[in-house]
Amino acid sequence: MKITIDGKACEAEKGEFILQIARRNNIYIPTLCHSDALPGLASCRLCIVKVIDRGRAKIVTSCIFPVSKEVEVVTNDDEIKRMRKNIVMLLKVRCPENKEVDELAKVFGVEEKRVKRFKLDPEENCVLCGLCAKACKELGTGAISTVNRGMYKEVATPYHEPSPECIGCASCANVCPTNAIKVVDKDGERKIWGKKFKMVKCDLCGEYFATEEHVKYAYDRLGVEKPEKLMCSSCKKKVTAKDIKSIFENA
Amino acid sequence: MSDKKTVNICCGTGCLAKGSMEVYEEMKAQIAKLGANAEVNVKLKATGCDGLCEKGPVLKIYPDDIAYFKVKVEDVEDVVKKTLMNGEIIEKLLYFETATKQRLRNHKESEFCKRQYKIALRNVGEIDPISLEDYVERGGYKALKKAIGSMKPEDVLEEISKSGLRGRGGAGFPTGRKWKTAADIDTSPIYVVCNGDEGDPGAFMDRSIMEGDPNSVIEGMTLCAYAVGGTNGFAYIRDEYGLAVENMQKAINKAKEENLLGNNILGTDFSFDIQIVRGGGAFVCGESTALMSSIEGMVGEPRAKYIHTTEKGLWGQPTVLNNVETWANVPIIIEKGGDWYHAIGTMEKSKGTKVFSLVGKVKNTGLVEVPMGTTLREIIYDIGGGVLNDRKFKAVQIGGPSGGCLPAEYLDLPVDYDTLVKADSMMGSGGMIVMDDRTCMVDVTRYYLSFLAEESCGKCVPCREGVKRMLEILTDICDGNGKEGDIEELLEICSMTSKASLCSLGKSAPNPVKAAIRYFRDEFEEHINNKRCRAGVCKELTTFGIDEDKCIGCDMCKKNCPADCITGEIKKPHAIDADKCVRCGNCMNICKFNAVKVL
Repeated sequence: MKITIDGKACEAEKGEFILQIARRNNIYIPTLCHSDALPGLASCRLCIVKVIDRGRAKIVTSCIFPVSKEVEVVTNDDEIKRMRKNIVMLLKVRCPENKEVDELAKVFGVEEKRVKRFKLDPEENCVLCGLCAKACKELGTGAISTVNRGMYKEVATPYHEPSPECIGCASCANVCPTNAIKVVDKDGERKIWGKKFKMVKCDLCGEYFATEEHVKYAYDRLGVEKPEKLMCSSCKKKVTAKDIKSIFENA
Repeated sequence: MSDKKTVNICCGTGCLAKGSMEVYEEMKAQIAKLGANAEVNVKLKATGCDGLCEKGPVLKIYPDDIAYFKVKVEDVEDVVKKTLMNGEIIEKLLYFETATKQRLRNHKESEFCKRQYKIALRNVGEIDPISLEDYVERGGYKALKKAIGSMKPEDVLEEISKSGLRGRGGAGFPTGRKWKTAADIDTSPIYVVCNGDEGDPGAFMDRSIMEGDPNSVIEGMTLCAYAVGGTNGFAYIRDEYGLAVENMQKAINKAKEENLLGNNILGTDFSFDIQIVRGGGAFVCGESTALMSSIEGMVGEPRAKYIHTTEKGLWGQPTVLNNVETWANVPIIIEKGGDWYHAIGTMEKSKGTKVFSLVGKVKNTGLVEVPMGTTLREIIYDIGGGVLNDRKFKAVQIGGPSGGCLPAEYLDLPVDYDTLVKADSMMGSGGMIVMDDRTCMVDVTRYYLSFLAEESCGKCVPCREGVKRMLEILTDICDGNGKEGDIEELLEICSMTSKASLCSLGKSAPNPVKAAIRYFRDEFEEHINNKRCRAGVCKELTTFGIDEDKCIGCDMCKKNCPADCITGEIKKPHAIDADKCVRCGNCMNICKFNAVKVL
């Protein structure tokens, strides 16, 4: 089937999300809480678009709105732009000193005066999009989650204690769109979520690259024995590339 | 002398709090004392809530139709000896009609009762809630027997569609259409859910139904299951409603014993069971998708409804979710027919009756069931008896925290789903809070936003951050720190939040702000620009003074001032020392001559 996005005809599968279709067609829709690797959260609301179906327009979240018929989508009219600007304004008020949020605020032209109207906390960097908790859950550890509700909502380990489930993989920090999760790697030790981990070295380059618990968890989950030589991801890429090359050359 | 009498004592939560269980026990003891040979034969019943909680404990005597209010343990002996034995009326316990200042033998003749039309509340307060016999005696399970015995599932659907019944939880979605969507899907299981997570401040109609007539909810859900092919039912009840949970559970057990629920209902192939799930007290779990997440054992956060829950709800299966009051309407619609129900209510799209909990600054508070389309004036003035202490009416807040406050100009507005939305308010679940001139509209808006800021699930930015920041602005305005441009900023955040939020809690959260600014903008401006709160509520913006021309020097204000800041001799005008005044407003509330004013 075909849908129209901003006047452009786009091929789409039934049930596909608008954001996916737009990105494939090089139509930009801003997002904060989206990761291609994880199911849509629809929490940041930046990806809102207008869907026009039989002349009636409604605002939907493009990251989770499945197309079921040939509709028209508008991603960037004045009304949508104004709403996004207000959303970014609220994020800027929440995280006034955050670099990523600040860039967004500049793009959307959020006025400093509006931001300064409110009480600001320069320490806050988390926009509470929930990507970290989702990543943690999908990995199977579930060490962190959003806790409480409303204005008291936060991301935390249970009871704010170091979580026995946490393997220090730092997936949460990797998916965080605003770099709000603190990970400190120093002298072969990683500190994250109030817990310390011993790191292991890459047997090829000698760099510390993962925690012991992470490595164990990964191989246990795969159900294979831990290899004699451990490699960091960049060395692994190099080795694999070499292997592939030799396969082709020998063939 | 008639020999068989029934005494109903209300044992709903309100009356229980006022000691009705003690009254019940005393009555039981007194009746036992009469012995088997007494001339009167008394049957005693503990019933559900009659809606007149403010006047509880309530005691009713049938067939004489005598009702006593504010009954104390000490009164019981008198009730037995005088009324039950000798037919003598105890004046002081009768219903006091505020309008005529008369006592009424039968409270059903009161302005409060006679203008009501009870459908959803038909049995509440009249039966022992856990007695299946009582329910059956009043026509209960007739509908289920009729449906199973002589109607096809599509006939049941047809009657519900014909009735024009719409969801009583607030959104007003046509019940028939909802059921039909689920019925059309060929899959199993199909779930039937009762939303008993009533959470609006001041609202207690669902609680009263679950406590006082649980079988009507169970029968309603079973009829739906029959119509849509439902297999399993869940009654999601907030845990604070202890008595509702208890009575619902007892009623479910009894219905199962009598084969009205469970396997092979009434000897047919139709099986359906209901399980109670207790909610943890989060307001957002009244939102259907959050409620379903909660039943599934997950955090109560709403999901987008791009695919309706009637198609994919609980555990991804078709789910019909209705509110308690909606369920209570179902059996009587099937019994009397969709056309009968359709004839009640407005000519347009709001059919039947709606239960409101009428509370706040109104003379008669309690549960009120009226046909859709009844005006606010009829509810507040005729049924409610007008504003407490005859103060000036200022606003009525309808629809829970996400509703809006409507001003006096809207008193003649017929109350139905569509007119309320047009007026920036909403039906909601039926809370109705009357406010007088001692209410500050900015402060009230701030209160509702503080409720929503805490009760938002916090998942999406527009609702969590938008409500939080609107609350910040409103708090500033109340504290005297309002700034130029604040009203515009509020409206800007409102317009985004009402469209970009994930669920209907977020989408309706700006309602109180929008309505307050629309109808009481001058009060906001006065707070921001003149630093004055005309209602005398916002302490930083209030200075009380006494009007010398009106003050007769009765000394009441002086006696009740906690700060000892009022001076003046008896029968001479008094004065307030503004420096010592703590701005509690006691003097203004107490003055019968309107002499205390906000400067």
